[in-house]
Amino acid sequence: EKKMTNDHLKKLLVYCMLCCTQKIIVQGAQTFQTKVALLRHVEPNNPKCFAEGIRDLTCFWEEDEERAGSAKQYSFIYTYQNENSSECNVTALPAAGGRILYFCRLSQTQLFVPLDIQVFRDGLLIHNRRLHIELFFLLDPPVNLTVKRTEKQGQLKASWMPPPLKYLDDSMMYEVSYVIAGTQMGQVEEVRASSEVILLGLQPGAKYSVRIRVKLDGVSYNGYWSAWTDPVLMATLPGDLDPLIVSLTLIISLILTLLSLTVLLSHRRFLLNKIWPVIPNPESKFQGLFTVYGGDFEEWLGYSAGGLCLRPAYFYSEELPAPLEVLSEVSLDLPSSPLPPKAKQAPGEDEKLKRIDSLMERWRETPHEHWLMDQLRVLHQLPGPQCSQLESQDAYVTLNAQNHSGEEPLDDILEETLPLQALFASGRTCSESHSDLGSLQQSSGSGRLSTQSSFEYPNHTWPPKGPGYTYMAVADSGVSMDYSPMSSSRIDYMGKGVIYTNEYRNEIPAHRQPIPFAF
Amino acid sequence: MSLTAPRYSGLLVVLLMVLQWAGQGIPSPVRPICDLRVLDHFIMEARDTETALRGCKAGCGVTGTFVVPLTNVDFLVWETKDIWEQAVEVQSGLSLLGQALGAVGESLSNAVMQSLITNNKSNIRSLGQVLHSLHIKGVSIHAAPAGGGTATRKVSSLSELLSVHINFLRGKVRLLLKNAPVCQQSSP
Repeated sequence: EKKMTNDHLKKLLVYCMLCCTQKIIVQGAQTFQTKVALLRHVEPNNPKCFAEGIRDLTCFWEEDEERAGSAKQYSFIYTYQNENSSECNVTALPAAGGRILYFCRLSQTQLFVPLDIQVFRDGLLIHNRRLHIELFFLLDPPVNLTVKRTEKQGQLKASWMPPPLKYLDDSMMYEVSYVIAGTQMGQVEEVRASSEVILLGLQPGAKYSVRIRVKLDGVSYNGYWSAWTDPVLMATLPGDLDPLIVSLTLIISLILTLLSLTVLLSHRRFLLNKIWPVIPNPESKFQGLFTVYGGDFEEWLGYSAGGLCLRPAYFYSEELPAPLEVLSEVSLDLPSSPLPPKAKQAPGEDEKLKRIDSLMERWRETPHEHWLMDQLRVLHQLPGPQCSQLESQDAYVTLNAQNHSGEEPLDDILEETLPLQALFASGRTCSESHSDLGSLQQSSGSGRLSTQSSFEYPNHTWPPKGPGYTYMAVADSGVSMDYSPMSSSRIDYMGKGVIYTNEYRNEIPAHRQPIPFAF
Repeated sequence: MSLTAPRYSGLLVVLLMVLQWAGQGIPSPVRPICDLRVLDHFIMEARDTETALRGCKAGCGVTGTFVVPLTNVDFLVWETKDIWEQAVEVQSGLSLLGQALGAVGESLSNAVMQSLITNNKSNIRSLGQVLHSLHIKGVSIHAAPAGGGTATRKVSSLSELLSVHINFLRGKVRLLLKNAPVCQQSSP
């Protein structure tokens, strides 16, 4: 059993050695092929020779397959100075491009002495060369290349193991190539007699690909650059923000913020309306509804007082006014001529006329701004057709223009600020009546009146010296009373008289109470 | 290397001479010179001399036969020698080269070449001092007998002489200085 175990162990050992040897051979073959490829491009002379260590030398040459012969046809003769010649066995290998590679490897060499090499093919010298082996080193690339970050930004530290060659370590020089991964932007740095280097001036936060190759420095020894090592990737430390960039960024941000605020503030109302639209307020359309009547629309309309009657809104009615003629004669002799058809009085209205007359009297006596309203209120109390909230009644109000000389134009009527009392006190008489009504702004000392009046001056119906008549058209649309002219403002000259038509707006002072009035 | 060869080598020689004069016969604790940059500098100057010789016709008129040391280094053989053998071989070879360069300098007609040859001869003497500083037993400051202890050969041209000079410095001298025991102890 022990013998069998020993046999098994031996077999296993041999198997391992064979595997290792095979691995070494394969790796060596790959290395040889790599070096052959390198020298093929950099060495023009034949045979191309290189030393991998201090004791070996490999020389090779290539020939086309057509002219190539077997390896036995070739003789490699080498001669050291002051020594006898020696011969090296030539080996042939297939090469790329249909060529044959012939090579010879010397395992024991002498340095620092000239070496003569001659290659014969079938006795004919094909290659002849003299060289110093110590000047033709082609080393293996460095191993264990390591790249690390340093504590400083923009730096990387690369370290490696030099080729393990005795006597040559202090004669080696290295070339470190570092590029930003994925780009061709990089640099090459030369290092002598050292196995580490700190790469400076790197971009912060960038990933670098570092590789290295080796060559003898050329003083005592020389040779070719080795193959590059496999690249090693390493990123540098991220950089700190440049203070200048930070400050510029802050300044620009501040400027943009101020501009945005300025734009927002200049359009704040528009933006507020878009974001938070204001609830429409109808107060402007119903003046006094909220301020005077506290939002009571009915009261504002005048329902509580038994009818629409005299409401400020009546004066603003947009409906077409219906003509209303109210004839009133104040201390006037009744004209002989018949009144205009509209001016005809119904028999039942005698009391009403008398009442109006008395009103006119009082008007003369009590000139104040409420006179007209008071009179209208009184008229409202008379029996007769009352104003209806629902019916639109046309009515005329004829006011007496007293002491008016027929020859005098009704200049005073142009003064819109003159109160009716003044006008009536002027004693003017109208010259003609006209179908068109004019309006006269009634303004007392306060300048405000809540009526919109139009006046008609009958012409021939009044005695020449009698006071003139003024007519005020009151339109009752059933909702509101509108004192408005029957026509647009104009001035007509009719014979001796002048009819002035004016429009004026009603304004109800806030402190005044609604005046119930009806025609 | 930013050293100026003539100034540096001259300074070194003066230093060693002063020390030798001041302490003749008295063992002076000379600090070993292990920096190979000095040798590299000497090698570069020898190369400059060989380059300058190419511009000189007919070998600058130098005739004669010169005995020079062998320069070939077989590491398998070299490593079998101990440090003393190596040092004696190097010291003997330097002596032969010094004698040969001295004989060449006398027959040179070219002033530039003469100056370069003189410089090289001076460098060889400096290397003797450096070798002495290594405190190798059996190696004294006095020049070893020429050819004693080392294989030699003869050359008949200045170019061959300078080639031997360069190869000897790059080879055996450097190997000895690099592997001197005292330098191995001082290096990390």
